[in-house]
Amino acid sequence: MNEATNVVLELLPHFEGYVYPNEATPQPLWSVLIVLYPYITGLVAGAFIMASLVRVFNVRALEPVYRLSLLTAFAFLLCAPLPLLFHLGQPQRSFQVMITPHLTSPMAIFGFVYAWYLMAVLLLELWFDYRRDFVEWSRRAGGWKGLLYRVLTVGVDDVSEASVDLDRRMGHLLSVVGIPSAFLLHGYVGFIFGSVKANPWWGNVLMPIIFILSAIVSGIALCVFNYQVLMWVRRRTTDIRCLDVMGMFLFYALVVDAGVEALDWIHRVYSAEEGFQMMHQMANEKLFYTLNLGQALLGTLVPALLLGALQLLRRHIPELARRRIYFASAVLILVGVLAMRWNVVIGGQLFSKSLRGVMSYKMEFAGMEGWFMGAFLFMLPFIVLTVLIRLFLPENPPGGKTDLPEAAPPARLASQPGAP
Amino acid sequence: MKRPVTRRKLLGGVAAALAGAILAPAARAAKAAVRKVFVSSDAPKGYRPEDHQWAMAIDAGRCIGCGLCVEACKKENSVPEGPYFRTWIERYVITRPQPGSGESRGPAHVDSPNGGMRGFPEPPVPKEEIQHAFFVPKLCNLCRHSPCVQVCPVGATFDAPDGAVLIDPKYCIGCGFCIQACPYGCRFMSPVTHTAEKCTLCYHRITRGLRPACVEVCPTEARVFGDLKHAGPSDPIRQFYERNKVQTLKPHLGTEPRVFYAGIDKEVR
Amino acid sequence: MNRFLRLPPQILRLVLLALGIVGSYAVARHFLTPPSFGEYGFYRGAALGEVAARPAVLAGREACAECHADQVTQVAAFSHKGLSCEGCHGAGQVHADNPDVAMEKLHYSHCVRCHEANPARPKWHKQVVAKDHYPGDKCTECHVPHAPSEVP
Repeated sequence: MNEATNVVLELLPHFEGYVYPNEATPQPLWSVLIVLYPYITGLVAGAFIMASLVRVFNVRALEPVYRLSLLTAFAFLLCAPLPLLFHLGQPQRSFQVMITPHLTSPMAIFGFVYAWYLMAVLLLELWFDYRRDFVEWSRRAGGWKGLLYRVLTVGVDDVSEASVDLDRRMGHLLSVVGIPSAFLLHGYVGFIFGSVKANPWWGNVLMPIIFILSAIVSGIALCVFNYQVLMWVRRRTTDIRCLDVMGMFLFYALVVDAGVEALDWIHRVYSAEEGFQMMHQMANEKLFYTLNLGQALLGTLVPALLLGALQLLRRHIPELARRRIYFASAVLILVGVLAMRWNVVIGGQLFSKSLRGVMSYKMEFAGMEGWFMGAFLFMLPFIVLTVLIRLFLPENPPGGKTDLPEAAPPARLASQPGAP
Repeated sequence: MKRPVTRRKLLGGVAAALAGAILAPAARAAKAAVRKVFVSSDAPKGYRPEDHQWAMAIDAGRCIGCGLCVEACKKENSVPEGPYFRTWIERYVITRPQPGSGESRGPAHVDSPNGGMRGFPEPPVPKEEIQHAFFVPKLCNLCRHSPCVQVCPVGATFDAPDGAVLIDPKYCIGCGFCIQACPYGCRFMSPVTHTAEKCTLCYHRITRGLRPACVEVCPTEARVFGDLKHAGPSDPIRQFYERNKVQTLKPHLGTEPRVFYAGIDKEVR
Repeated sequence: MNRFLRLPPQILRLVLLALGIVGSYAVARHFLTPPSFGEYGFYRGAALGEVAARPAVLAGREACAECHADQVTQVAAFSHKGLSCEGCHGAGQVHADNPDVAMEKLHYSHCVRCHEANPARPKWHKQVVAKDHYPGDKCTECHVPHAPSEVP
């Protein structure tokens, strides 16, 4: 109906139809960094939920990945604000978000939710879980590592039965508090987009829910991925029972997530409000590959079928094949959720708010918003995680080789992953 | 601040009188320099934002699409070159329906070449096929419930007590959320300051008793500007409201714009 | 006091740490909040003055009339009375501050900018197809911009 022309087009040929003059910038305002930001926060929230399955819901089979999930959440949380910070026009003023938070803005809550989640939930839970080990290790390890462990005990060296029992109860309490906090951390990220009523692609009540569900899916997938990679690096076998349970949770989370996302689409198609034509065009042209192929087919349908088949036929499939299927599904889901973030963030900026035109976006290689920076920021949490694993999930805990029996961390859980 | 300036001015005057006509240009230059220093370092004295309620109204039927307003705005506010506009003009060309199509009208062609700053070329369709064609000047809609102000995480953009929606350039962190939240595309990220920018209603002019630059240069009074707290019966802004049935842009979003339009079409978004 | 000290050591450390963090946040907030914040609302009140402090670029007709009263009165008698001087002559604040700085040179395009025929222009507005209307490029050979209905 509304064919349109824009002479700006002749200069910047990546626009079709009419876009508001201020929208005719060569790059979308929020680009790859803002794609990564909800992706990384989602992985944090998901990995934490994964860990709380052990603590809160007492899923014993997942104990081998408990500490790994917590450390994963921690590593990714440390890196989560970086893309946000780098994309700011005036990053040196970012502290104002904490000093004068404008409480009607979803973004203003970021500083507080982040600080709460980092310091009151994740760090504390890790600390209570590790306190006994820190005391133990600080006695056995020498050099800078021993010093580090000693600093981390914060000077408390009480490892009596009663004290450790208190740690355990505190850890449980923090997990319980942590679940709504993880929902808050990621739900609010969804609300940043869902609250933009100016943008029919974003403004949607389901957005926070979709973000939380996809976060859980991606977080569990990341734990499956990390666990298998870690065990492969250490030349040890993964605990197949643990993987089966993770696969089960991954499957059900994926089904719920896909169900809610489908509901969102059904609602959009059925109500077909103003701007629906634009969305139609987006799904069929601009986002064809990332939406239909990346998000729907490879990221949802294929892993759902693979994992679903495993739920039914687990007994008939050999362990090695199961391990490979879990790994493949996890990777597909991680890619699919990244594609979903891309579709939300970039997709919402590929059409004009005049609903009369569309833009194209080709990512640059270099520069702040280019491939290089994106890849770096995505790799960073893995690098941090490697360091954390070296320090806090060692193959041979400090002193363990010489004077400790095999079950190195004497905590109540068999925290050492992979012990078959 | 004020005293040394007047003294300098006075000194300049004395010097000019002594030196006579030869030195007059130098004195004038000095006066200009002094004025510049004075004006750029301080806000207008005696302006109380609570005493005013500024409003702008647009009569699209009077706009001739000359683009003087866009050009004046760019100059007045040092708006960066390129796709950055605090105000712009859109041209709507609505075609006649194909004979026998059963439609009431054909497709609408909308354009805004360079924001309309240099006027508009021939329309993309021949004259005989045009059912309606008109221009629509756009600017910040001065929403009563501004989505942009609502989402600013630090309180760097705000509704001033006099009705202007402003950005604090020293406080904006450049997150771009307000730009995403504005339904009218009226904000942009300045490539110069790396903060968000928008129409200020020429705040530096209206606080000194001048009219906004776009209103000042508009040759057809398509833009009407006034102070609702001091509008007499003959005031153009009051007459505009009395003379016209008006509408706002995207009313379904509940932003309640305070920029009213007369003479626009359903195609205008 | 006694009971407080009897808290388990790990909890006691955490409580102290939390108090330290909240305390330093309160102090930081006190010193980093701009003084005029909240003067009118949730923003820096001083920003109003800062935004208003920008020097004007267009002087306005009143400023023109200070020296060019004759021309301003002349224009007011004809149909160009609604036009701003600076719409055609260019921004004038610099010239108003220092008359030695000359204004922009006028150009033929100033006339066609408004009067070139365009179907989107309202019908009441006088329009011509410039190249059919007159082959030359000087509108002023026949028209007086300040008094459009007069003939020179």
